[in-house]
Amino acid sequence: MAILSDSDAAEVTKIFGALVRDVHVKVYTQKLECPTCTDTETILRELDGLSERLKVSFLNPQTDSEDARKDGVERVPAIIVSDGTHSRVKFYGTPSGYEFSSLLTTIIDTGGSEEPLTEGTIQFLSDLDTDILMQVFVTPTCPHCPGAAVLASRMARYNSRVRSEVIEANEFPELSRKFRVQGVPRTIVNGIFYVEGSISETMMTDALKKGLEDAPSEETNLLDYLRNEGG
Amino acid sequence: MDLKTGLVGSGSTESRELDLVIAGGGPAALAAALYAARYDIDHIVLESYQPGGQAALTAVIENYPGIKTITGGDIVTAMKEQAESWGAVFEMASVLSAEPLKDKIQIKADSSTYMARNLIIATGAAPAKLGVPGEEKFYGRGVSYCATCDAPFFRDARVLVVGGGDSAVKEALHLSDFVSELVIVHRRDKFRAEPYLADKLLSCGNCNVMWNTTLKEIKGDESVKGVILNTPEGEKEMKFDGIFMYVGRKPATEPFANLIELNDNGTVRTHNIVHTSRENVFAAGDVTDNDLRQIVTAVSDGARAASAVFDKLQ
Repeated sequence: MAILSDSDAAEVTKIFGALVRDVHVKVYTQKLECPTCTDTETILRELDGLSERLKVSFLNPQTDSEDARKDGVERVPAIIVSDGTHSRVKFYGTPSGYEFSSLLTTIIDTGGSEEPLTEGTIQFLSDLDTDILMQVFVTPTCPHCPGAAVLASRMARYNSRVRSEVIEANEFPELSRKFRVQGVPRTIVNGIFYVEGSISETMMTDALKKGLEDAPSEETNLLDYLRNEGG
Repeated sequence: MDLKTGLVGSGSTESRELDLVIAGGGPAALAAALYAARYDIDHIVLESYQPGGQAALTAVIENYPGIKTITGGDIVTAMKEQAESWGAVFEMASVLSAEPLKDKIQIKADSSTYMARNLIIATGAAPAKLGVPGEEKFYGRGVSYCATCDAPFFRDARVLVVGGGDSAVKEALHLSDFVSELVIVHRRDKFRAEPYLADKLLSCGNCNVMWNTTLKEIKGDESVKGVILNTPEGEKEMKFDGIFMYVGRKPATEPFANLIELNDNGTVRTHNIVHTSRENVFAAGDVTDNDLRQIVTAVSDGARAASAVFDKLQ
């Protein structure tokens, strides 16, 4: 049975009309020990038919282990969105609810004609001399989450020193527990600093600059850190 | 399966003159955007990083005329899609400042600046903080202002809800589907919420109400472990895994403090519903001092404000 309704499919087809170049989407799923893989695969198969610009490939981390290793896939379901040259932009979990919106936006960012990042963020990324992993914890019912998820994905798409992972917190409870996630969105940076909530590009780049320069040695809320240190 | 198809907007480094800037992303701003687009007013909507405003965080809406029941997320998505279908233009940015400059308003957003002949302030309100010890420290570590977003983290947990209005009771009911036990504390001896909602909560199987009780302190280590309450019998320490706060709203008017008259509580002082102390600045929705704060009144304000701008531009 189809997951996308006729009206969803019509809306997405209209949105995909903005694609001016190919977007490569790799979907890693498996049958065993992954209750949400079937839905994820179904959604992506249905999206695949809605634009010729969308090139979706389906892989299994067990049988395609070399690809999974190269792509850095650590859990399933995993979705990687790119122009075909990298695997820096990842989504872990079913793209349902507001996460569907984040995935669609990232596809349009990748294959559309406009650069969505502001000049200030582009300058920050151009000056970046260290690697950043941004792990954004989200839930499908959180309307503020796409803002944080898409910002991390945009930064990773733009600069090869940044990787983004948008993680559905309910589907990966062990990871949520590891980072003590009890509210979303929460963006964990390099496994140490974090930002609570959805914030502007300017606030995020300020927080990242401060966190990377001063390198707090323990888990630190970057926004509190900025406020307290007078950043 | 519910799939949200609305795209996330992008920022801008634009600087230009236009007839109208609408600040905000909730129902008041979306209605103003729909009307402005249909009036063919040259405009932009500066929606914040929390699109949909407070309405988007409401689990269920049952009092919007014509719609029996809908989620907050769905109603604001439908409003935005409708506005966009008529040509409304959105930018994802928060207003940082708004200053009068000759006969226009200079509006600085995150990385863009606009010179607007008219401004509609529809920036809504954010959940108010109670200011008790532990509230800031445990935000995101058990303290939450969004049950719709964070309820799944408290499955089978013991949760405290603070407040007694519509939001507190509605969100407590939403939470009660997830948690093992829910306690709601209210400083008065009856709820301010609609009687229908209050009755539903009072008959909820895993909910308990503590009247005439206030929250004194939130305690914990890495996350929330419990609270100290002021009860009619004196201080009482109780264990909880999560605290959800619904103790009122703080209007988002800081960027406009030098532009128009505000009331002591921070709301925009209005006359004739949407007019402010400056003739080319209008206000709509929860940011105003209008008495009823509902989606139905917010969209009405938004329509009136856009219509007032249209009349002025003629």
